[in-house]
Amino acid sequence: MKTLTVLALFFLFIHTTGCAFNRGTVGDELRDEEVSSLKKGATTQKEVVSRLGAPDRIIEANGNTIYQYYRYDIKAGSLLLILLNFSRINIRSDDLYVFLNRDGVVEDIVFGKRTSRLEFQFWPFGE
Amino acid sequence: MSTGRLLMGWAGLLSIALALEGCSAARISVNDTLRPDDVAFIVPGKTTWAEVVAKLGSPDMLAASDSGAVGTYHFLDLKYSRVNFGWLIKPWSPVSPDLILSGTGIGIDAFEIVWDDRWVVSSSAFTRHAEGNSFKFWPF
Repeated sequence: MKTLTVLALFFLFIHTTGCAFNRGTVGDELRDEEVSSLKKGATTQKEVVSRLGAPDRIIEANGNTIYQYYRYDIKAGSLLLILLNFSRINIRSDDLYVFLNRDGVVEDIVFGKRTSRLEFQFWPFGE
Repeated sequence: MSTGRLLMGWAGLLSIALALEGCSAARISVNDTLRPDDVAFIVPGKTTWAEVVAKLGSPDMLAASDSGAVGTYHFLDLKYSRVNFGWLIKPWSPVSPDLILSGTGIGIDAFEIVWDDRWVVSSSAFTRHAEGNSFKFWPF
């Protein structure tokens, strides 16, 4: 068994011409402490903008002004063998919605953070 | 393990490797794939914005509509595979011929939810279906 493992590792080593890691991001990181500093019923529109910057999108719906902040994170891994190449690119987004009422005060905050589960992967098969 | 069996194993591995020479497989995933089971909890007229967000996370797009708001969850699963049979001829050919067969399956999908003016779901549906996104070397 041990011999087989060594042979398998040797086989992989001699046929590996290289591997590549790539990372890309779009937008600023939305930090948890910045988001948690926003308080429902207390934080104003001006304070939201001073802490997070101008929103990426502004939506008017159901009597609310909604500020959307988003960020994309991309992790790509490639295993370049002489005979076979495997690549996998994973992309996830973080989306923060700040709901402001008619008085310009925060009414609700929804933060979906998917990038924390983003991984570098080589194997493209399976889930 | 006997030397004979070891050599046979190596020969087998090399044969497979030579047969697969020039192969590549790649995959691009955007966000988590949502399946009908994942959204089965949504009941039009009952499920609220807060309940949806608690289970699915925030939508990556929100837009106003006449009746309320529309949220969209986008996701994608792309699979690309390629095999170059020209590599099999390379050792005996003065040129580098290519005989490439490749296939791409793009499973683009989006799940849309319409909320009414009280932020209660009024309807929801998948806009497309993530079918055909399998690794296929044979394009015909």
